[in-house]
Amino acid sequence: MTLFLQAVADGLQMGLLYALVAVGLAIIWGLMEMINFAHGEFMMLGMFGAWGLSVSLGWDPLISMVPLAVIMYGAGVLVYRLLMRRVQRGEIFTQIFATVGLLFFVQNGVVALFTSDYRFIEGSLLTRLSGANLTLGDIRIGVPLLVGGLIALAVFLALYLLIDRTDFGLALQATSEDRDAAMLVGIRPERMYAVAWGLGTALVAVAGVILANFFAVYPQAGLSFTVLAYAIVALGGFGSILGTLMAALLVGVVQSVTAAYLAPAFKDAFVFASYILIGLFRPQGLFGRF
Amino acid sequence: MRILRVIAVAAVLFLTAVHLGAPVRAAGPVSEVLVGELLPLTGNFASLGQQYLWAGQTVEDIVNNDYPDLKVPLGPGKGIPGLGGAKMTLVVRDDQSRGDQARTLAEQLITVNKVHWLNGEGTSGNTSIIQPLVESYGIPMACHACASPTLTEKGFKWFWRTGPNDNTMVASVFQFLKEWPAHGGPKDLKTIALFTCDNLFCQDNRKIAADLAEKGGLKIVADLTTKTGATTLASEAQRLQAAKPDILFSVQYPAETTVFQADLKRAGFMPKVIATSNGAYSDQTWLNAQKATAGAAGWLGRDPTAIDLASKKPAWKKVNEIYKKYSRGQDMGELAMREITGLLWMADTFNRAKSVEPAALAKAANETNMAPDVMIIDYKGIKFDNAHQNVLATGVVTQIGWDDEKHTIWPWDLAAQAGFKPIFPSPSWQERESRSKK
Repeated sequence: MTLFLQAVADGLQMGLLYALVAVGLAIIWGLMEMINFAHGEFMMLGMFGAWGLSVSLGWDPLISMVPLAVIMYGAGVLVYRLLMRRVQRGEIFTQIFATVGLLFFVQNGVVALFTSDYRFIEGSLLTRLSGANLTLGDIRIGVPLLVGGLIALAVFLALYLLIDRTDFGLALQATSEDRDAAMLVGIRPERMYAVAWGLGTALVAVAGVILANFFAVYPQAGLSFTVLAYAIVALGGFGSILGTLMAALLVGVVQSVTAAYLAPAFKDAFVFASYILIGLFRPQGLFGRF
Repeated sequence: MRILRVIAVAAVLFLTAVHLGAPVRAAGPVSEVLVGELLPLTGNFASLGQQYLWAGQTVEDIVNNDYPDLKVPLGPGKGIPGLGGAKMTLVVRDDQSRGDQARTLAEQLITVNKVHWLNGEGTSGNTSIIQPLVESYGIPMACHACASPTLTEKGFKWFWRTGPNDNTMVASVFQFLKEWPAHGGPKDLKTIALFTCDNLFCQDNRKIAADLAEKGGLKIVADLTTKTGATTLASEAQRLQAAKPDILFSVQYPAETTVFQADLKRAGFMPKVIATSNGAYSDQTWLNAQKATAGAAGWLGRDPTAIDLASKKPAWKKVNEIYKKYSRGQDMGELAMREITGLLWMADTFNRAKSVEPAALAKAANETNMAPDVMIIDYKGIKFDNAHQNVLATGVVTQIGWDDEKHTIWPWDLAAQAGFKPIFPSPSWQERESRSKK
């Protein structure tokens, strides 16, 4: 029983981090219905940013998170204005190839600039807390992951309020549902899309900054998370921020419990099996609106 | 239907013509020797690929420039004397760590670039994909740092490997564990857990380790295979902790090893011995990162060379200086040493063959009998068996000390020269914390 409960606790903690990675995609893909295969590369840029500021200025990632989020917001807006706006009205394949191209451009650009070496953040608050645990009976909860998870929860709450409880959020949703009708009531769709790209990019960069405390920083670091992020957004339901959070927690727990009892190599297979299973009964995902 | 048949026949004829035509080259003197360097420069294995590239650039530099005091093959003098001073030129291609891409690029290097030798791909899995293709073209091929035994067990005529394979290197670890008690080591190591990733390299290591563990009287209490690119290994750490192995044999890449270390630390678990094989243990950047936290102190692993002893050789120091010109100041790791040794052997083979014709190169390669004193690595020499595996490539066992450097602990004669007392048991997380530098 302890093994099971520990696996669930571990899965929930990882799930919160997955949620933070996926929520940016939930806005760009899930809400605004634009494909972005370079999502993981923005996360990787966040990781490199955190590492760079840690090495050069001695900034803790928890501090550098703020300026990096602002910078990456700008980068997201720029990507939309320079690239995605032009391909948005074309075939879906154009979006796919544009963002795949962006993926290679960003990833290989970082290889050229920094090489493919693995880099590690040393001496940050979360790395110093590495090994510190809270215990609930026999269950250990790692403090660094818990802190990361709480930040993820705070971001989620803020985002949920922004999207579901503000005029701006309603404008975003309106643009997504009917661009022309949104224009008739005075919403500027391109501005909404640009903001969505900025927000999505900033959020995944924040995820990268937090993850840089736990993972090696290298140009290919985003790939494993991107695949999971796509599964999470689809599982949670397009357009639902809450659904993304629930799906991410589910993915974390499925991975963790599977690895605790079955062959660990298959744990991602069980994640996708869960997606298929849920898709059979709720094709729109757990909390999908469409 | 008839048109389709005509197209199919034409395609087959065209491909056959291309295929048959490719290896035929104009005879006569050459001004440059073309070596295809097919490497994973981007994608999952890019950190390995860049080390191979820097190693290749180092050898190109050594061969094409005059280093009069450098006692390695073709160190003194410019170019390859056996070919009238021909330059060695690398034709570098990046396969993005993908087997399908490697196959396409290998074909291009042979048919379009007309390379004289294909070196690559640097990972055993992708090398095994391109081997049959290169074999069909009849072009010499090598992968010096690939360690999967299967690469030289398929009877390929055109493939050579100067480096040791996993049979040799994993066996070194288990031989050390077997002999350790007689040399003052622990006598109560009875159980082992295997923890490996899922690609060809890791799984070959796992199979060899499982076989050797049973033969050595070690009971396997856990055998976990994980997916490359895992984002969490917490449950795996729990299972290993529950299995209570005396020895943990881990073969994982740097990114996964970092995740695993954090999960082990969170679980508060440390076996008596952590033994490893390549992967993170061969990655210089991972090793460097451990210095701040003493994270790798006490880890032991197989290496193809006693790096603490080899680095005292004058030739090693000089080659390392050249390597650093290309590696942005990073020292050679053992992976780069294996690659440089292999590429210098290839240059020497061109020199002895006095030809770039595949048959002449194969003959010269098979006749190789290179002495250890011209190498930067401490193999006992280079000499191939019928399967084209270097039978003089050796394995040693090293352990990372509290000084964060690797020290040779087996074979015993080299261990005596190194003068290092093995750390046992593997230090607890608390001890590492108290000794860490940050």
